[in-house]
Amino acid sequence: MKNIVSVKQVHKNYTLGTFVVHALRGVSLDVEEGEFLAIAGPSGSGKTTLLNLIGCVDTPTEGTVRIGDNATETMSERDLTRLRLHTIGFIFQSFNLVSVLNVLQNIELPLLLQRSASAKERRQRVEALLDRVGIREYARHRPSELSGGQRQRVAIARALVTRPQLVLADEPTANLDSVTGTNILDLMKELNRTEKTTFIFSTHDARVWAYASSVVRLADGQLVDRVSAEEAVRVGGVGNLPSARTT
Amino acid sequence: MRGYFDTLKVIVLIAFRNLFASRLKTLIVGGIIFFGSMLVVVGTALVDSVDASMSRSIIGSVAGHIQVYNAKSVDELAVMGNFQMEGADLAQIDDFQAMRKAILSVPNVKAVVPMGLSGAMVPAGNTVDVVLEKLRDIVRRQQAGEDVRLALDSQKDHVRQIVEVLAADIANVGKLLTDKAVPAEELAAVRRATAPGFWKEFDADPLATLEFLENSIAPIATDADMLFLRYVGTDPAAFAQSFDRMKIVDGATIPPGKRGFLFSKWVYETQVKLKTAHRLDDIHDAILKRGKTIATDPDLQRFIKQNSSEVKELMLQLDGQQVAMFRAKLQKELGSQETDVSKLLAEFFRVDDGNIMHRYRFFYDELAPALTLYRVRVGDVITIKAFTKSGYVQSVNLRVYGTFTFEGLEDSHMAGELNIMDLVSFRELYGFATPERDREIQALKVTAGFKDVDRDQAEAELFGAAPIIAAAETKPAAVDAESVLRSIAGKSKREKRENQVYDQAQLGQGVVLNAAVMVKNPRLIPQTMRDIEAAGSKAGLTLKAIDWQKASGLIGQFVTMIRAVLYISVLIIFAVALVIINNALVMATLERIAEIGTLRAVGAQRRFLLGMLLVEALAVGGLFGGIGSAAGAGLVAILRMVGIPATNDIFYFFFSGPRLHPGLSVANVALALAIVLLVSGASSLYPGFLAMRVSPRQAMQSDE
Repeated sequence: MKNIVSVKQVHKNYTLGTFVVHALRGVSLDVEEGEFLAIAGPSGSGKTTLLNLIGCVDTPTEGTVRIGDNATETMSERDLTRLRLHTIGFIFQSFNLVSVLNVLQNIELPLLLQRSASAKERRQRVEALLDRVGIREYARHRPSELSGGQRQRVAIARALVTRPQLVLADEPTANLDSVTGTNILDLMKELNRTEKTTFIFSTHDARVWAYASSVVRLADGQLVDRVSAEEAVRVGGVGNLPSARTT
Repeated sequence: MRGYFDTLKVIVLIAFRNLFASRLKTLIVGGIIFFGSMLVVVGTALVDSVDASMSRSIIGSVAGHIQVYNAKSVDELAVMGNFQMEGADLAQIDDFQAMRKAILSVPNVKAVVPMGLSGAMVPAGNTVDVVLEKLRDIVRRQQAGEDVRLALDSQKDHVRQIVEVLAADIANVGKLLTDKAVPAEELAAVRRATAPGFWKEFDADPLATLEFLENSIAPIATDADMLFLRYVGTDPAAFAQSFDRMKIVDGATIPPGKRGFLFSKWVYETQVKLKTAHRLDDIHDAILKRGKTIATDPDLQRFIKQNSSEVKELMLQLDGQQVAMFRAKLQKELGSQETDVSKLLAEFFRVDDGNIMHRYRFFYDELAPALTLYRVRVGDVITIKAFTKSGYVQSVNLRVYGTFTFEGLEDSHMAGELNIMDLVSFRELYGFATPERDREIQALKVTAGFKDVDRDQAEAELFGAAPIIAAAETKPAAVDAESVLRSIAGKSKREKRENQVYDQAQLGQGVVLNAAVMVKNPRLIPQTMRDIEAAGSKAGLTLKAIDWQKASGLIGQFVTMIRAVLYISVLIIFAVALVIINNALVMATLERIAEIGTLRAVGAQRRFLLGMLLVEALAVGGLFGGIGSAAGAGLVAILRMVGIPATNDIFYFFFSGPRLHPGLSVANVALALAIVLLVSGASSLYPGFLAMRVSPRQAMQSDE
């Protein structure tokens, strides 16, 4: 299978006054098309930073990130935005829906930004996704009128509406109760299977690893290992991770 | 294209939803914009309307569209004065004909009216002097053998009445102050004139007694004053033709070729009319035209106080019979048994809101016919004394042919301050050399044996050395009786100038100070001014052309000042609006960092965010600016219907009439909307900049 993501020896440092935080230290990672990859690790391990770099919302201090055939380090801000719009879908921990737009408009928003689909096509795609994520009856509702699970479904639909090759989900179940979280993971998994969309999601919840095709474990900004879901579940929670080592 | 439209739609949707979500902020910002745009619409509409009406007043009354004068003048021309007593120091233009020809060569010029502006003091006469003059005339007729017994008795009675008024006056002063407050010689003169044997003395030697009255009694009556008259010397016919708002009210215009004077009706009413009557008119008009009340208006109360305390002005005019007639009428009118007419008059003029209209009618119907209401009447000859440009006093006698006004500006002192004089007399008063004068001076030089004296030798020649006139010339020929008589005849001739005539060529060829130019198309005034100056240069004249606004002096700058005040107010309001909108949008941006980050993360370019904030600001600006402009337009429409009353004569002039009916133009609304949108757009730039700097990473903020 072809790699959709290729991260090579990536370092990311943040400067806080005179103090430098090494968020990622020499991480390398390849993700094949169609994978359902979980990035695991405790808080502060660098999961979100790695997702930011893969999602082209941040640039590495050192190293390279390739998305498909695109070497992101050479791309302009405008091209990176375009790449996000056309290739990557985002699901956020806090759903991040536009509060002043209704469900339908939130889902349609990326298509409007793309400016490629006709109104009819947009409507068809949005309606299909509304059915798919099971919130058709809430199409005219505002985000504030929905439950957490429903909002995340809207976020999933918005992430998928442009038919991206890659969907990045940052702790998608963190703000949901366990039942709703499970439902969301089921939905994502199903979409991964049916749409062949690559999913990369970060989580520190060991229960959700079982859904992943493989689990990349991070600690202290370093990639500890990459194991199968079964292995990850067997090993247990993030507290049981072996010492960080460079892969 | 459709895609852009759809994106715009979502931008607008987000912008409007955001505005709706923060209603209070939107309402505060919108309120300021609403007020600002309404102010712009109403303010500019009013200023434009005042500008238009004032231009009608100024152009139509004296300035014309353009004024032309000598560019070598020391001062700038200000036809309506610059609130200074002295007139502008203007260099003369020697040949009006050449000037006229040059100006008329400019295609847009319709007419040229010659002008000269100046002012002079005119003695308005003392009532006592006038009465004594009449008495002297009757005495002369009596001495010539004419039977004037009745007239003489009546006039003597009038003088006796005057003396009694003055004696009572002096007695009052003595009571109020001390005896020393009245000069001893005045006291002695009044005592003599009121003594029982005085009129026997008069009958014995009328001329000697008259001399006493003229020298000792007349000066005590301080009712004589001087009129300060501003006048424009012009070609009366051309003036009337070009300034078509000018209308003759009393008498007739100055006949062609005649020397003469036309009083402005406003000057005639305010300065020449009996003060008591004028004040009564003012009270009457203030109530009728401006809705004032005596009970609430301090000015009207002051007029009433003045009228009731200054009845001497009337009393001096009355002879014995008239006093009796006034007494009878006033006692009946007031229901009073008082016999002192002064006190009755004082009571009569103490009017209130309830009786003013009745008393006003009574005054004009019953009392005024016995009074001389105007100190100068149409047909009288007045002596105008003025300082020439060189500083010596020159005087001319001019017949008053009538009064005039500018239609629609009847109550405006600004339009009514200038009187009209024929240009030939003006030139003489101003000290311009005329061929006639040159000849007169030459004749005097010859008669007096004039000789040029060298400055260095002047003292010796005049006081110490040999006579400067040759012996042969020092004979009586130097004081040749014939020449002197001719000179005296010349003087006499000059004194009768009010009856002299001049021809149109004399009017057109001489000197002028300035000229009013009427144009065919007022929109081309700036170009016409340049053309006039160019035509002047071509003709060897140094002409300076200024538009009506500049020519009218400070008055013309009034609208510019008002406009400046308006624009500064608008600037302040919109600067405040800009800061507030900017702050509101900055706050909105900061509150929406996560949302903006999300939009960036899902693929919104920076310009999308800038567009979103711009639309948000423009939407507020457009919506409230539109409502404000509509409200402003509505207010202007109401004002147009109702009219803004001119509460005083300055406004009367600015409004070109008693009410201003402001008009609204598309430009007023367009300006308001343009300012609002510009300010709104500008205020979204900084928040837009902040939004563009929001990283998509902000959307990914997590617990990490």
